[in-house]
Amino acid sequence: MKENLTIDELNDLANELRYVIADMICRSGSGHLGGAVSIIEIMITLYYRVMNVKNSEPGWNNRDRLILSKGHAAPVLYAVLAYKKFFPKSWLKTLNCDGTKLPSHADARTVPGIDMTTGSLGQGLSAACGMAFAAKKDKRANHIFCIVGDGELNEGQNWEAAMFASHNRLDNLIAICDYNKLQIDGFTYEVIDLEPLTDKWKSFNWNVIEADGHNWNEIFSSLERAKKLNNGKPTMIIMHTTKAKDCSTIENIASSHNIKIGSITEHQNFLKSITSGEYKLPY
Amino acid sequence: MKLHEKEMRTVYAETLNELISQNKNIFCLEADLAKATGTNPIVSETYPNNFINVGVAEANMIGVAAGLAVDGKVPFCASFSCFASRRVYDQITLSVAYANTNVKIIGAAPGVTQGPNGGTHMCFQDLAIMRAMPNMQVLSPCDVYELKSMLYYMANTYGGMYMQLVRPKVIPIFDENYQYEHGKAVKISEGSDVTIVTTGFMTHIAKQAVDELKEENINVELLHYPCIKPFDDESLISSAKKTKTVITVENQSVIGGIGGAVCEILSENLPTRVKRLGIPDKFGEVASAKYLFDKYIFGLEGIKQACREMKK
Repeated sequence: MKENLTIDELNDLANELRYVIADMICRSGSGHLGGAVSIIEIMITLYYRVMNVKNSEPGWNNRDRLILSKGHAAPVLYAVLAYKKFFPKSWLKTLNCDGTKLPSHADARTVPGIDMTTGSLGQGLSAACGMAFAAKKDKRANHIFCIVGDGELNEGQNWEAAMFASHNRLDNLIAICDYNKLQIDGFTYEVIDLEPLTDKWKSFNWNVIEADGHNWNEIFSSLERAKKLNNGKPTMIIMHTTKAKDCSTIENIASSHNIKIGSITEHQNFLKSITSGEYKLPY
Repeated sequence: MKLHEKEMRTVYAETLNELISQNKNIFCLEADLAKATGTNPIVSETYPNNFINVGVAEANMIGVAAGLAVDGKVPFCASFSCFASRRVYDQITLSVAYANTNVKIIGAAPGVTQGPNGGTHMCFQDLAIMRAMPNMQVLSPCDVYELKSMLYYMANTYGGMYMQLVRPKVIPIFDENYQYEHGKAVKISEGSDVTIVTTGFMTHIAKQAVDELKEENINVELLHYPCIKPFDDESLISSAKKTKTVITVENQSVIGGIGGAVCEILSENLPTRVKRLGIPDKFGEVASAKYLFDKYIFGLEGIKQACREMKK
């Protein structure tokens, strides 16, 4: 399932997914765009270059797992899984529609390829710990990836999970923080400051790596490095990102978290505002 | 009427050991109350590889359990009922019930059995809030035989489940031949004057009341509900048709628990006079069960008194 794509091909794929995700959300009238777009390059790297998964067998026991703890970023997970042929791309245009299989928050019950249902912030890292623990017990050599939001780290349960993971030496657990520095009510340093974030994770006895979450080489090398550490510690990769990247009208502002589109004109204008270009929709 | 020789929590732990010996996918999860719930040292020393203590972190316990369950494990997570239900209600909602993971949650020391820990720890609403959650099965065994049989059912049946666990010795109602039947009420005595509906810790007290009322020529039909959800509507309606009057008795608030369930079912199917016995809309306090039974009139004497009044 891993693919060798050039940087140009990766850029093109990311740009297309950004356009498709924006269209999916505009069609439904509203949705969590900013935090989905901020992790496009991370999600593509995981599913195209790093993780061992099989679209023909989504429940394959030895697969790597991904828990999208910031479940509201589900549109990017749905888009990547559809492009990786876990389900038809035609499903994508049903995001948040009545009776859809693709609800606003990541849903393992209805979507092939999703490893954990999420949506209430702060719970995914605990589930990832459970899966990492089970993998160790069953002597599987797979990795458990978990993407947490920066605002999500306000939730205390993350820090319970952080202690559990290091205490149980879960070095098969790799967490990724989408550090776009914005949460619903404003910048993270204004709402509730996360800094010193690296020191916090180090003090919980985790390996910590920092990377540019929009730089293909840095994302890939940080993930591959984390996989090889095997030093009895879980790893946190703090990915510096920009919320709603390349969505010119809402880039790097808090309100990009959940956009509202009231008309077809607004929908069309929004798609035109995406600086990375227009793409043919796959549905 | 003698107490069983074993504490309920001992039987919980010993049964977990039996289950683990048969299925290594069963895990015992604790949040620093393993001595209180009986699994330390019984499980922790016998099966250390199947024992996980997450520390004082109940939310993480439920999340870790959900992750284990997604990968085919069968986690039994125990804590005091206050922490196993109300403290982690959102974690159970999302990571267990909504996500449909195979997690078993044990709420130990329910209601008045919390005793000296007092009002902060006495949870009177776990049955109400857990039964209000879609996709959760809610259980409350009355003695060691039912507890053991129920644990086998839980271990071998997929789905999120919440079970109350009274910790000390209790007077047995059943014997070793008892087989728990999911979703079915157990008729403990046949009667025609009044129906009593009860569960868990209150069943043996209700049975004593029913036995003593026979001497007053009051014939009570006693329905024990080990399974609060799914609720056995049919047995209730059939008994209420006969007796025309129902008393509910529970080690819980009268709001939303088994009393609430009975009122919902009867008002829709067979409007019947119902008296709910239990804790009124109050918090608990440091007190013995007897003190609270007397204060809120729902122990042995309270049940008998209600039956006399309702028979009139």
